[in-house]
Amino acid sequence: MTAIVTTDLAKRYAEVNALDGVTLALEEHRIHGLLGRNGAGKTTLMKLLTGQVFASSGSMEVLGGNPVENVDVLSQTAFIQESQKYPDTFRPIDVLRIAAGAYPKWDQAYADRLVERFQLPTKRLIKKLSRGQLSGIGIVVGLASRAPLTFFDEPYLGLDAVARRMFYDELLHDFAEHPRTVVLSTHHIDEVANLLEHVVILDQGKVLLDADTDELHDAALTVSGRADDVDAFLAGREPLEHTRLGSLATATLAARDGDERAAREAGLDISPVSLQALFVHLTTANASATDPATPVATA
Amino acid sequence: MRIRNVIQLHTVNRMQAFGWPLLIMLVSLAIVLVIGGLVINVATSQGAESLTEARQGMNTGMMFNGAIFALLGPLIGFGFTAMGQYFPLALGLGLTRREFATGTVLVFVFNAAFYAVIVTVGKVIEVATGGYGLGVRFFDVVYTGVGEWWQTLIQTFILILGVALVGAAITTAFHRWGQPFLWVFWIALAVVVVGVLAGALLSEGFRRLVVDVAAMGWVPWMVVAAGIGAIGGAIWLALVRRAQAR
Repeated sequence: MTAIVTTDLAKRYAEVNALDGVTLALEEHRIHGLLGRNGAGKTTLMKLLTGQVFASSGSMEVLGGNPVENVDVLSQTAFIQESQKYPDTFRPIDVLRIAAGAYPKWDQAYADRLVERFQLPTKRLIKKLSRGQLSGIGIVVGLASRAPLTFFDEPYLGLDAVARRMFYDELLHDFAEHPRTVVLSTHHIDEVANLLEHVVILDQGKVLLDADTDELHDAALTVSGRADDVDAFLAGREPLEHTRLGSLATATLAARDGDERAAREAGLDISPVSLQALFVHLTTANASATDPATPVATA
Repeated sequence: MRIRNVIQLHTVNRMQAFGWPLLIMLVSLAIVLVIGGLVINVATSQGAESLTEARQGMNTGMMFNGAIFALLGPLIGFGFTAMGQYFPLALGLGLTRREFATGTVLVFVFNAAFYAVIVTVGKVIEVATGGYGLGVRFFDVVYTGVGEWWQTLIQTFILILGVALVGAAITTAFHRWGQPFLWVFWIALAVVVVGVLAGALLSEGFRRLVVDVAAMGWVPWMVVAAGIGAIGGAIWLALVRRAQAR
């Protein structure tokens, strides 16, 4: 069953098309990665799906209904955004108390454990918290709400690597015990690559890639070796990236059947392309395709 | 409808919602009492006639004492705070605009009623004790009504509720249209004020009209105040239905 379906969804502001014809179908009970460069439209898409802003055109269905002003949908939806503003006079404990009442599946004992684990000072004024502690509030709310659909938009801004690791562990552990649909937007792509089951890459308001992570492992490969051999292997093909250093070269290209065997026969080394590398290749290539002034990432 | 969550959003920090306004009010009242005590102390040393004059003078002059705004000021800000700070969090927690508007109106009404009762009780004590034995005024002033106690109750209720609704409407319009709205609003207000002042200065007929309006009595004034609050409330409810997160 699909948790989210959008058709030609668009959001236009006065001077920019934040989203332009986004068509998606995200299955329930999976962890989806929503990736994209700054300004790609990720936050706008999540705000649309949680009814915080209104679409300019297109349609969307979240948990079986239109999310706009829909209590049934929104009470099952948690949206944790890094830009969330809290009232100046609030303390973390105030936010947690309200969240406990707003989400039907809230687990207070779990929230207490998370507060302790992330060392959140619950009685300090929010305006006196660090960026990482602010992120901690969102993480506690997002996880303890146990909302059937949870959006995390850069939830760990300001958190150190250890705390981020704790978040991934908690998310995975709680997801295993309480399956739900999670949409995770992040720039730390390699850190979350193992969590994600499905990835959507947005670029300039459009869907650049929509695929399961299993498929992506075979979507591209990097070959390296003597420059002449690499050039011969690439003959007639457009690489995603091509780097030359002296007599050696490396190229990343969209994979076809038989590529690995052909590369080995040509004496080239083969390595898989990480999700982050693929993301960089795709978005860079797309930028150069839409803007002639932008060169393809080569050296 | 999750109205309870919206009410909780506004009141979860009890010190902010009730503690500080009442504490600031008590501090402000204490300052008025100290000033009154000092004046009476000086007058007492100058004889009985001077003491009577001091009491009457303070009682008349303090009809316009603005110290009560130490309480009303923060309450007036409730409308701005509701839309500026609580609305984004409400949307962030998955509450709908309808739930937020309904819960917030209830909070405004409750706040207006609660603080109107506080002011009215203060006024009754103030009048009964002859300005706490000093002739001072804190609650019994023109802004909250110098008539009967029930007039103060109604006037203060309408004042707090009306300003909260207008404040919420202004903040929502600002969120929607940004700085240009503020320019238009303040320029329009300035044009009205300058127009009235110019008319009063330049035209005898207009001056009489202004005087007649100013002296039109308590009930018509309350109708005007309630009308402004109702218009502000209607505009706010219309705008909040289409308000977007920023």
